[in-house]
Amino acid sequence: MNDNIADFSGGRTYVLDNELARIVHISMALEMPLLLKGEPGTGKTMLAHAIAENLNMELIVLNVKSSMKLIDALYQYDTLTRLNDSRFGDSNRDVSNINEYIRMGKIGQAFSAAQRVVLLIDEIDKADTDFQDDMLDILDQMQFDIIETDITVQAKVRPVIIITSNAKKDLSDPFLGRCNFHHIAFPDPKMMRQIIAVHFPGLDENLAQGAIATFYKLRDVEGIEKRPATRELINWLRALASDPDFKTDRLVEEEVPYLGVLFKKSPDYKKAASIYSQARK
Amino acid sequence: MFSDFFYSLREQGVPVTPTSFLTLHKALNSGLIENLDDFYIAARSILVKSERYFDQYDQVFTSHFEGTPLPEKDGLILDEIASQMLRQWLQNPGATARMLGEDEEHLQKLSRTELLAYFKQILQVQKDEHHGGSKWIGTGGTSPLGHSGYHPSPMRVEGESSAKTALRVAAERRYRDYSTQGPLTRARIGEALKRLRKLVPAGAKDRINIEKTIYRTVKIGGEIDIVFEPRLQDRLKVVLAIDNGGWSMDPHVKIVQTLFDYAGTQFKDIKTYFFHNTIYDTLWQDAGRSKKPFSIADFSRFDPETRLIIVGDASMAPYELGSQDGSIHIQERSGRTSIECLKYLAETFPHSAWLNPLQENMWDYSQTVGMVRQIFSMFELSLDGLEKAISQLKA
Repeated sequence: MNDNIADFSGGRTYVLDNELARIVHISMALEMPLLLKGEPGTGKTMLAHAIAENLNMELIVLNVKSSMKLIDALYQYDTLTRLNDSRFGDSNRDVSNINEYIRMGKIGQAFSAAQRVVLLIDEIDKADTDFQDDMLDILDQMQFDIIETDITVQAKVRPVIIITSNAKKDLSDPFLGRCNFHHIAFPDPKMMRQIIAVHFPGLDENLAQGAIATFYKLRDVEGIEKRPATRELINWLRALASDPDFKTDRLVEEEVPYLGVLFKKSPDYKKAASIYSQARK
Repeated sequence: MFSDFFYSLREQGVPVTPTSFLTLHKALNSGLIENLDDFYIAARSILVKSERYFDQYDQVFTSHFEGTPLPEKDGLILDEIASQMLRQWLQNPGATARMLGEDEEHLQKLSRTELLAYFKQILQVQKDEHHGGSKWIGTGGTSPLGHSGYHPSPMRVEGESSAKTALRVAAERRYRDYSTQGPLTRARIGEALKRLRKLVPAGAKDRINIEKTIYRTVKIGGEIDIVFEPRLQDRLKVVLAIDNGGWSMDPHVKIVQTLFDYAGTQFKDIKTYFFHNTIYDTLWQDAGRSKKPFSIADFSRFDPETRLIIVGDASMAPYELGSQDGSIHIQERSGRTSIECLKYLAETFPHSAWLNPLQENMWDYSQTVGMVRQIFSMFELSLDGLEKAISQLKA
């Protein structure tokens, strides 16, 4: 086991709770992919960035798309370039060598990397079930074949694999069976204070407290379709902090500037705004 | 080691697999786990694969390692009902007190904890000494927990004529998960659409049209000119027929409609029709089922590749399906039985599915559901069911 695994404790801009740190630790030691679920804005994607940064590994991100085929994530055979090269003969590539025209996809890159890398497979739920299961096979065996050249690409070092999913629906059983699982709950105000502190060192304490309190109040407004998440709070604080006219006690007086930073859907925005205008009357 | 723990997890309904149990042992052997805290976290992330079971896991864990008794299932449900009563009380103390036949002022004096205990006590009595509807929880009463009462109940209890008590029905847990994992709610529509999208393969210009390429290449004297074209787009036509009659379907119509309105962009062509209970010669294009009749005979002019999706609970009196004048609406009676009409539809549209908002384990209770299932493949109107329906419709 690599020594530096134990050192993982969160990145510069990522606050890691103890529980999650241990799960990351265990998954890395067991060499199993870690599946993270949780509502948007709980830092699922950020975790992979933090691990990579913390352990000085390269991060390779595979953003899953619904139309994606597994082969795209493994490698691509660039027939077109080869055809053009054979016609014009003006490139340095050797047209007779197919390998020159095989490009590694994200999983392929992770496998062929000389050092251990972090492979983030983001939003796996977007792809269909076949994609998910086939991918897990590949990740299990840590190898795949390039059909055109009959070469087997084998992982030199097992990458640290983080998989994220937004779906409320469970993934398939064989998939789950091969992953470790963690559900990231939305951070509580105390945790949020720490997160804010990491992002805004030296932020005015009153402002932070007031903003967080207002933020959680706004999150609880009934009937909101898209509740503001950590990302929105950070952007909002950035807006508040950069406004020279803004004074913290205005928050206490139930006045919330830049609501649009928090609420991205117009019905939500109106709902939140109307609640505050009522409160002032 | 810990095999008791493993089995009590299974008993409590947490789907743990032997493979994951072995993985846990691997973790134990590799010295990763030093104390109980580590074990708690490691075992959870390895064994439990959905946040839905975290609660049960916690219960089993505490029971196994700290000796806390596992809560009785009945007790849990009592707790739940009692806390619903408390919510009811907080919203409307007067009405709740009247229903319980208690003095409002007396109840006001109690703290929330005391109230909760008091409610539980009432429920316990109800549970132990129920004699058939004379107590305050039952169907047709005015309690917040029964069915057909005047109170907008937070928990709908089904049962038109059955003498089941609310408590019994709750204990069967049929509606317990309604909001979290059962059929679709508005918030889940986006998720559901992801499944629907499977019907429509994306079309990027990534296919080479060889004939055209050769033609163009020859035309310009051997200079290779590659012609791309998009893959054939499978923009499906969909016919949606919704049962919007009767109280049983009321809660679902809106969801279903919103679902397919959103889907409108995905499908080239979506037509919505309405019916009550089952389909005879006519479907209705207006939700009121009075203005715009549509004869199902006209479906024969439709593209047979059209996908037919029927949404309904398929629960009715058997004669409505089998009798020649089975319709409860006199103008719909034409001499053909509904069974024949349904068969005609199934033949006209070989790709069809029936979505049923009732949960699947309830289907056997209705004779007509079985009859309809002989004609159409039926799926539960939930994410899982929808996904199955979609894969059937895709074929």
